[in-house]
Amino acid sequence: MTAFLGFELRRTARDVRFLFFLIAFPVLLYLIESGTAGRGDPHFATRFLASMGVWSVMGAGMWASGPQLCRERGSGWIRQLRVTPLSDGAWLATKLAQGCLMAVPGVVLLGVTAVLKEHVHVSAGAWAALLVLFVAGAVPFVFAGLIIGLRLDAQTGQVAQMMVLIVMAFLGGIFLPLSIMPDALRDVARALPSYRLASTGWDIVDGHALRLDNAAVLVAWTAVLAVAAVWLWRRESSTG
Amino acid sequence: MESEPAVEFRGVVKRYGDVTALDGADFTIARGQTVALLGPNGAGKTTAIDILLGLRTPGDGTVRVLGGTPRHAVADGRVGAMLQSSGLPEHAKVAEVVDLGRRLYGRRRALDDLLALTGLTAVAGQQATRLSGGQTRRVHVALALAGDPELVFLDEPTVALDVEGRRDFWAAMRKVAEAGCTVLFATHYLEEADTNADRVIVLSDGRVRADGPPSRIKAGAGVKTVRFAVAEPDPAALRALPGVTGADVRGERVSLTTADADATLPALYGSGLRIKDIEVAGGGLESALLSLTGDAAAHGEGAAR
Repeated sequence: MTAFLGFELRRTARDVRFLFFLIAFPVLLYLIESGTAGRGDPHFATRFLASMGVWSVMGAGMWASGPQLCRERGSGWIRQLRVTPLSDGAWLATKLAQGCLMAVPGVVLLGVTAVLKEHVHVSAGAWAALLVLFVAGAVPFVFAGLIIGLRLDAQTGQVAQMMVLIVMAFLGGIFLPLSIMPDALRDVARALPSYRLASTGWDIVDGHALRLDNAAVLVAWTAVLAVAAVWLWRRESSTG
Repeated sequence: MESEPAVEFRGVVKRYGDVTALDGADFTIARGQTVALLGPNGAGKTTAIDILLGLRTPGDGTVRVLGGTPRHAVADGRVGAMLQSSGLPEHAKVAEVVDLGRRLYGRRRALDDLLALTGLTAVAGQQATRLSGGQTRRVHVALALAGDPELVFLDEPTVALDVEGRRDFWAAMRKVAEAGCTVLFATHYLEEADTNADRVIVLSDGRVRADGPPSRIKAGAGVKTVRFAVAEPDPAALRALPGVTGADVRGERVSLTTADADATLPALYGSGLRIKDIEVAGGGLESALLSLTGDAAAHGEGAAR
């Protein structure tokens, strides 16, 4: 299984689209936004670090299992893997581990940028908490990616992943603060895992206590997506 | 257990909706044999192999692979397989893909040996998705052999290969078979079955139509029809020609069935008859199937097995 995880991680590290969308893009956006919207405000720079981290995490989670899985189901590579001793359970565990680990480079690079460029000060404990949050926060998005990967073909899968990413980012208050949204949209945002992930991140960098409602919404999303993904995956791999 | 057959496939029925892919197919394969599963497209070959790999479950019948369930044999890494169509992953080098296969089977073979056996050494550093069709198949061969399996299933393994590719492929497979590996390959080429198998199982419409050494199957396939016109044909004299197994005479039109057209034709020309409009038809898998199915009908179901 570690052989398969290593293989998958190496492949992702060579994927230019991944490197751009989930590492370069959030870092660039962070630099631009903290210079313009934030105007050097360290509080904005700190909070926006957590926001951009969520973008990176969502994408990393879905990347491992989304459109790539669509393509590999289409090409027959997944079937080829299924006639090796790699068990279905090990495959799923690898996809989860892969999604979580792939969140790390983007988040770390964002942190480094925040410290070096915006002189963001966050305690060591907060850095650790942020990293744990973002690694674990990839899990529901791995399941979302699996649903895309198992249900759609390569073209629609690509579009669906981008749609989910953009909708989650805009409505989740990642790009724009919730305070400027109309009330109705604010209610939508509060129901989204992207907002709850970001909100937990903001609490960590602000040194606030973690809120149970954030955790509850994230756990609920993870559970629902996991059940749906595993159900689809069993149906897909069932030997009908 | 070594004494157990490599494959037991008993009374297997598989339906997809209204389509019956396998209709009581039945065969057993002893260890060490190289067996061809021969049949036209749609005969049920791929379904049979999918079932033997545990990718599909049969609607009825029993299937055992190396003494256990197909999924067990696969999970234990005792089986290798080359599926009919399967791509290769993006952003990976050939050597990495082969190495992954090797590691999934617990590193039973050295990477360099595996690359050499499958003729991939020269392209080991290339991106797997940039390979030609033939080279892609070589990677699939390497994956099938990566675990030094006791049994390999090959579903139409040479379809994308050129002549040289086929030769290399079968040379590699012979080495594997000589080492004691049981090989079951599906093909719709009679020649391929004849040249490379110890035994041929003919599958058609989901049933086993014939099962025996290649020579017997080939004899069935050698049956040809010779048609011509001649004034006042004499059926008895025509039946006496070498190779002829039957003569059908309608006015001036004659239709001979022959097991050896190469002997029949010179004798026909040498007979002094003024024959016109001669044509020779048949041969190949279709006529083999026709002749074998006819045989089966004549001798009842038992003869087909």
